[in-house]
Amino acid sequence: MNEIILMFHVLFGAGCVITAVWLFVDVLHADAANRARIRRLSWAAAAFMWCAFLIGGYWYVVDYPADKAIILHGPWPFAHSYFMETKEHLVIMLLLLTSFLPVATANNLAVNREARRLVLWVLAGIALLGLMIEGDGAMIAMGVKVALLAGQH
Amino acid sequence: MENTGVSKYTISFGLSLALCSVLNALLVVTKEKSRSVTSALQRITGHQWVTHVIIVLVLFLFFGWLFAKSNQGQGMKLAVNRLTEIILAGIVAGGLIITGFYLVAD
Repeated sequence: MNEIILMFHVLFGAGCVITAVWLFVDVLHADAANRARIRRLSWAAAAFMWCAFLIGGYWYVVDYPADKAIILHGPWPFAHSYFMETKEHLVIMLLLLTSFLPVATANNLAVNREARRLVLWVLAGIALLGLMIEGDGAMIAMGVKVALLAGQH
Repeated sequence: MENTGVSKYTISFGLSLALCSVLNALLVVTKEKSRSVTSALQRITGHQWVTHVIIVLVLFLFFGWLFAKSNQGQGMKLAVNRLTEIILAGIVAGGLIITGFYLVAD
């Protein structure tokens, strides 16, 4: 069950990044025709992020201590001491960025070049930070794997 | 016709985003350097990270509301390009403090 929870965490995180990239393209071509879609997608990106955050937060508090102990006794302790420590705090910035997104896209991006530029930078930040955090997650999972494999020999 | 203004909430919550990104990073450094701060955060909700998240989210909402209420309720006045620069500076500074701190802390 723990692994299923974790997969939904990754799934929603990836959904947020993909939606941010989709929105980036839509905002580059913002006009009256895609205005409603941009607003809906920005709410979707925020919702994906909040789901990923709440699921990941639950898993981190309830289930992660066991994985942490395994990682710290394995050959890659930095999977916790660097990658998890940075991930659990960078994700708060990502949550703030995605929560701000629907506020920024509520402006009329079709006629406001500066607001478009602001939203594009926010989306770039979400996509880059999101990918970085997904990478952190991969390193943490690998930290558990190498520790378990080392324990078999 | 080009329009260069944005809503007061875009400016107020944008500024709050930049400020809280830096405050989030400073809270990380503070709790990692002070065992008593970590213990205090732990006592409030039972988990120091949960308390940390709640503090940052409450500050984000508070500063967003406060900046929107300033200037007799009209909100803070700021050029949108300047707001973009401030948000980027806040995010980059917050990110560098966190990633840099854990790089040298251990």
